[in-house]
Amino acid sequence: MSLPQAQQETQSFVKQRWLGNSRRFASLLEGLLYLLPSILLFTVFLFYPLMKTLYLSFFYSDAQGVPLSFAGFDHFVQLFSSSSFMTSMKATLLFVLYTVPPGIILALALALLANEKLRGIGFFRTIFSSTMGMSVAASSVIWMFMYNPAIGIANRFLTWAGLSEIQWLLDPGWALISVSIATIWMNTGFTFMILLGGLQNIDSQLYESAKIAGVSRFYSLRKITLPMLSPTLFFVITVSMINAFQTFGQIDILTKGGPMETTNVIVYAIYKDAFINYNVGSASAQAVLLFFGILIVTLIQFKLGERKVHYQ
Amino acid sequence: MKKRWLFMLLLAISMVISACSGESAGNEAEAESDTETEAGSEEKTEVVFWHAMSGELEGAVQKIADDFNASQEEIEVKPVFQGTYEEAITKFNTVAGTEDAPTIMQTFEVGTKYMIDSGKIQPVQKFIDEEGYDTSQWEENITNYYAVDGVQYSMPFNSSTPVLVYNKDAFEEAGLDPEKAPATYDELKDAAKKLTNGDQVGFSILNYGWFFEELLAAQGGLFVNEDNGRAGNATEAVFNSEEGLKVFELISDMYNEGTFYNTGQVWDDMRAAFQSGKIAMYIDSSAGIRAMVDNSPFEVGASYLPVPDEANRQGVIIGGASLWMTSDIEEEKQQAAWEFMKYVTTPEVQAEWHLQSGYFAINPAAYEEDIVQEEWEKYPQLKVTVDQLKDTKPSTATQGALISVFPEARQKVVSAMESLYQGVDPKEALDRAVEETNQALEAAAKKSGN
Repeated sequence: MSLPQAQQETQSFVKQRWLGNSRRFASLLEGLLYLLPSILLFTVFLFYPLMKTLYLSFFYSDAQGVPLSFAGFDHFVQLFSSSSFMTSMKATLLFVLYTVPPGIILALALALLANEKLRGIGFFRTIFSSTMGMSVAASSVIWMFMYNPAIGIANRFLTWAGLSEIQWLLDPGWALISVSIATIWMNTGFTFMILLGGLQNIDSQLYESAKIAGVSRFYSLRKITLPMLSPTLFFVITVSMINAFQTFGQIDILTKGGPMETTNVIVYAIYKDAFINYNVGSASAQAVLLFFGILIVTLIQFKLGERKVHYQ
Repeated sequence: MKKRWLFMLLLAISMVISACSGESAGNEAEAESDTETEAGSEEKTEVVFWHAMSGELEGAVQKIADDFNASQEEIEVKPVFQGTYEEAITKFNTVAGTEDAPTIMQTFEVGTKYMIDSGKIQPVQKFIDEEGYDTSQWEENITNYYAVDGVQYSMPFNSSTPVLVYNKDAFEEAGLDPEKAPATYDELKDAAKKLTNGDQVGFSILNYGWFFEELLAAQGGLFVNEDNGRAGNATEAVFNSEEGLKVFELISDMYNEGTFYNTGQVWDDMRAAFQSGKIAMYIDSSAGIRAMVDNSPFEVGASYLPVPDEANRQGVIIGGASLWMTSDIEEEKQQAAWEFMKYVTTPEVQAEWHLQSGYFAINPAAYEEDIVQEEWEKYPQLKVTVDQLKDTKPSTATQGALISVFPEARQKVVSAMESLYQGVDPKEALDRAVEETNQALEAAAKKSGN
């Protein structure tokens, strides 16, 4: 190989690489340009507040949230030694447990029913998904009236059925369950809608083959419907879980975190600390912990759950 | 194809950007036109008044402002409803010190210390001194609450106290004298026992910190040390005293006997329980009396707060809210706000306000007004609330506590009250609330660097 030839080759190689690089760079730039609006919005409304929260969680600050002096991990240490924070962690986890699995099972059952081809099924589909159109505030107020111990319909129903009255929202043993029931009702519409959409996307040929093979309905539910629905189910579980962790409205209206802090879920505790007690530092620390909590749960879900998800 | 998309995107971005700038330009134009109109009517000074009066009360506030605006040429008061006291103070917190801050801010009594510490307010004492305004015409018990170290920080506006409200018809049925309400804890227990039958339960107190504070002060008990925080910054809660324990024991005893009904934390729930005959006696704010008399299907009685048998009745702490003037605003606006505040406290305005709302008249001369005397004939219950306040002995107990972490302290007390219904020992519940309040006080002290 002569020297000029080699030089030429290197040159062309460099040129090629440079061209490739620049092309890749251009496409990266183009991609970023597409993302720009959402990146901008995320930065302003998510990343910046997130960073600020993290920052504030390490400071003692005044009532207006202006940091005064460095606190180090004081707020976190304080939280982990406070029984109130432990109660609110417990309440949050119980709330997730009470609302997510029953809510999804209920919505799935309704979706399976509504997926049948019947006359007038559209009416039922509308009814089942109608809670989606209700705001949390409005539905909470309705539930509050139903739960009212003196004049509520829930207790009238119980006395009519010959049972003793329950202090729905005032009894520490019942309050979280009562709020959960209301929450399940509120969320059913959304979960139902998504699941029904998933069901309708399943290829009907699969069911036809199953029919020809003569398998039972339950078998085809287990072997066709659920696996084919798994991406949708996975999505619904993840979203419901995150929603449940972040519940605020119904707690604020129904119980204000009481009685005896049994419904003081973490987001409500953050609100109370930040906007009623003006402990911005401690509230920020709780928010940071909540963020990592949800992050970890979601990561676990992706690690464990996604393996079982069947993508077409 | 690709290029076209890129082009569209760029177009979209540029549109967003130009839209943004367009909007801000619009704002500027608006702001300009604002100043123009201000300049046009020249002498009209605008006073923005943030308040937390909802429902019928909002109308009453609006009427006061309208009447004031009509009475003179220079000042225009604009009342703006900002949600509950808690919500309003949170909003105030975010705008305090900026030009969006209101000129007059209504804040509830437990926010007093918080407002003073915020450093964003102008004590009205300055104007009182400048003008030699005579504050002795105000109700002493009310001004006492909002005066700290002899300085009048805010202008009392709507004040209320708790009273025992009872169902006269139920009293008659139970063989009790409907004109003689229980005055001591023992009488209360007895009456509650007689009143409890079938669906009806004798007595109830809302799970709300204010009622505990009142029952404590009625016996002369203090809430925090340093003379209820009036002599210096309170460092410790002291409401687990003998007096505090008596209140908790009363609730606990009656609940265990089945003569006390737990109505939760919501005022409307408690009132609904009373109106539907579920409870025969309860403690309510004097500001709720008139509506209760109007809306109950039975005769309603009102009387003084009960006290333990051996206790010496001290009276009540003033509740409600006062008007604060913000600092960092033009002198002219402050002066205008002061004019409005003075107008609000005149006997005529106060008389109407008292009758419409059930709040006290800041200016006792209002009670001499004819319309008040007439209405008192119709609603003797209103007079009871006023008498109870008049009979109050001024002391650090009835002056009320002054602490910055009051909202938090109240939450702790509420939790403790709730735990009584779960069979927790009154002493234990109270001690825990005190301990938690101390922690909050400590944290607050750490924050302010003391």
